[in-house]
Amino acid sequence: MLELNNQYTLMKRKIDTEVLKCFYDDTLVEQADRLPLEIIPKTRTPFRCCIYKERAMVRYRIMALAGINIELDDDEEKPLAEYMKEVLTEDKPPLPLLTTIITGCSGCPKSQYRISDGCRGCFARPCMSNCPKDAIVFINGQAHIQEDRCIRCGKCMEVCPFHAVVHIPVPCEEACPVDAVTKNEQGFVEIEHDKCIGCGKCVRSCPFGAIVERSGLFPVLRMIKRGEKVVAMIAPAIEGQFPGSLGQLKAAIKKAGFYDVVEVAEGAEITSENEAEELHEKITEGKGFMTTSCCAAYMELIYKHIPYLKDRHSTSLSPMGYTVNIIKEKYPDAKMVFVGPCLAKKAEVARRYKDISGVITFAELASVFVAKGIDVREMEAEDLGDTASFDDCRDFAVTHGVADCVIRRFKKDGVNPRVLAIDGLDKKTVRLMKTWERRAPEADLVEVMACEGGCLAGPGTIVKPALAQKLRNAARAPKTAAK
Amino acid sequence: MKKSKVKVRICLGTACFVQGGADLLLYNDFVDPAILAECEIEGCSCLDECKVGNGSAPYVSINDKIYSGVNQDMFCKLLAEAVKNA
Repeated sequence: MLELNNQYTLMKRKIDTEVLKCFYDDTLVEQADRLPLEIIPKTRTPFRCCIYKERAMVRYRIMALAGINIELDDDEEKPLAEYMKEVLTEDKPPLPLLTTIITGCSGCPKSQYRISDGCRGCFARPCMSNCPKDAIVFINGQAHIQEDRCIRCGKCMEVCPFHAVVHIPVPCEEACPVDAVTKNEQGFVEIEHDKCIGCGKCVRSCPFGAIVERSGLFPVLRMIKRGEKVVAMIAPAIEGQFPGSLGQLKAAIKKAGFYDVVEVAEGAEITSENEAEELHEKITEGKGFMTTSCCAAYMELIYKHIPYLKDRHSTSLSPMGYTVNIIKEKYPDAKMVFVGPCLAKKAEVARRYKDISGVITFAELASVFVAKGIDVREMEAEDLGDTASFDDCRDFAVTHGVADCVIRRFKKDGVNPRVLAIDGLDKKTVRLMKTWERRAPEADLVEVMACEGGCLAGPGTIVKPALAQKLRNAARAPKTAAK
Repeated sequence: MKKSKVKVRICLGTACFVQGGADLLLYNDFVDPAILAECEIEGCSCLDECKVGNGSAPYVSINDKIYSGVNQDMFCKLLAEAVKNA
C-alpha cells in the first residue's frame, strides 16, 4: 500500500478544501467548472501526461466528493455546475461505496516477475533450482522467465542473491483481500460491488487515483446548513489525527457547525462489557471461539464471503451502535453523523442503523476545518465530561486494543481466555479464516482488524499510524504522571 | 565557543498539519541523528504564513527564516544546511 502522504492524497486534500471553500461562500455552482483550471494552472508541470488529463481527474475527484457514482453517471458533456446543483438539492444513495475512474486507470499489465540486468548469471543459479515449474532458462549468461510456465509464486525473487528479480504487481488487485477488483476486457479496473467489503485498500494502493470512495460529506454539510441539530460521533481513532487536545478538537467540531460531540469510545465500553460476558459464557459452556464484531469491513467479509462465521462473531453491537442509544437519550431530536477513519462504516450504517444520517472521514473533517479557517490548536478546550470509565476504550482503534478492553472486563474466576489478533485483512488471512470452519484457531477470543495496525491505519485517516500513536501517547503521558 | 543550537519550529496549524506538516513530526525517524543533536525542534502555533498567501503548506521556521512546502527530504536538507552554517 502507498504511504499515506503522497502527491495524490495531498492533491485530494487541496481539491476538497477548495470545493468546500466555494460551498461555504455559496459560490459552488458558479465556481465548479473553474476549479479544475485553477487547481491545475497552465504553468504546472504535469505528473500525468498533460495538464488536460490532470484537470479531467480533478473534475472526477470533485464528482466523487459530491458523492456521484462516476461509473454510472459520468456524462462528459455535463458541466460540473449541473452536478453541483444536483448534490445541493438531493442526497445520493450511499452504496456502492467505491467508484472507478477509467480515465485515470493506467491499465497496468498483468502481475508479473521479471529478471533485470542485475542478473550476474551466477553458477549456483538458485532461481533455476528453486523454480517449481522449471520456468527459468539461461540465455547469453542471464536468467529469463518463460511466461507460459511461470505461476508467479515469487520463489526466484526470494532466493536471488543479487535482488535481480523484480515483481511488477497490479497494486489494486493485489491489495484487495477478496478479489473484488478485476480488469475488464480493455484492461481497465472494475470493482465487483457485491464482493467488495469496503476496506478501502484498493483506493489507498492505486498510484493513479483511479479508484475513489464516494463521499457522504455533502448530505452532512447540507443538514448543518439547514440548521438541523447534528451530533458528531467521533471514532476512537480520532485521537492523534489532529493537532491539539481532544477537548480542543471537540470545540473545533462544534465551531464547524455540529451541535455536540460524543465519543464512540463511550459505546465501546458497553461493547467490551457485553463481549466479556459473552466470551465467558462461550468458554464455560465449551462453545468454541468467538470473534469480535466491531470492524465494519470484517463484518462485510463475513456476510459476503465467510458465512459460517455468522455464528462465531459476538452478538454485541459495534461501539457505534451503542453510541446511537446514548445520543438518542441525550438528544432525542438530533441527527447523528459518524466521523471515523473507515469506509466500510457506511455499509454498516446503510444496513443496520437508520438513525445515523451520515458518515464522514477524518480527512473530510480536516478539509472542513481548513476551508472554514478553524485551527484546532487555537481553540479553547471544551470539557469532555467524565471519561474515566471508557478512557481505555479509545484503544479500540489499535490492534490488540479491543481484545485488551474485553479481557480487562472479563470475570476473573480462574478462566484465562486465549487471544488471537488478526492484524489486517489480506488474501492470506482471508484464506486462513476460511479454514477455521474445519480447524478452529487456537484461541477463545479472536480480534479482527481489517486494517493493519487497527483503525489508526484506516483509509480515511490523516497522519501516519506511527505518528498517531506518538501523539496519542503524548496526550496520555501527563495524566499518568499526575496520578 | 560553543555553537548555539538551530531553532526549528514546525507549524502545527490545522492546514499545515493535514497537508504534510504532521509527517515532519516524525523527525526522529528520518533525520540524521548527528544533525538532530544540533537542533532544537518544536511544534508551534500557526505561523500565519498561509494567510499571507505566498507558497504552500506546510511551513517551517528555521532560525526565524520561513520555508514553505517543506517535505521530509527538504526538511533534512534545510536542517543540514542550517547546522553547517551555524
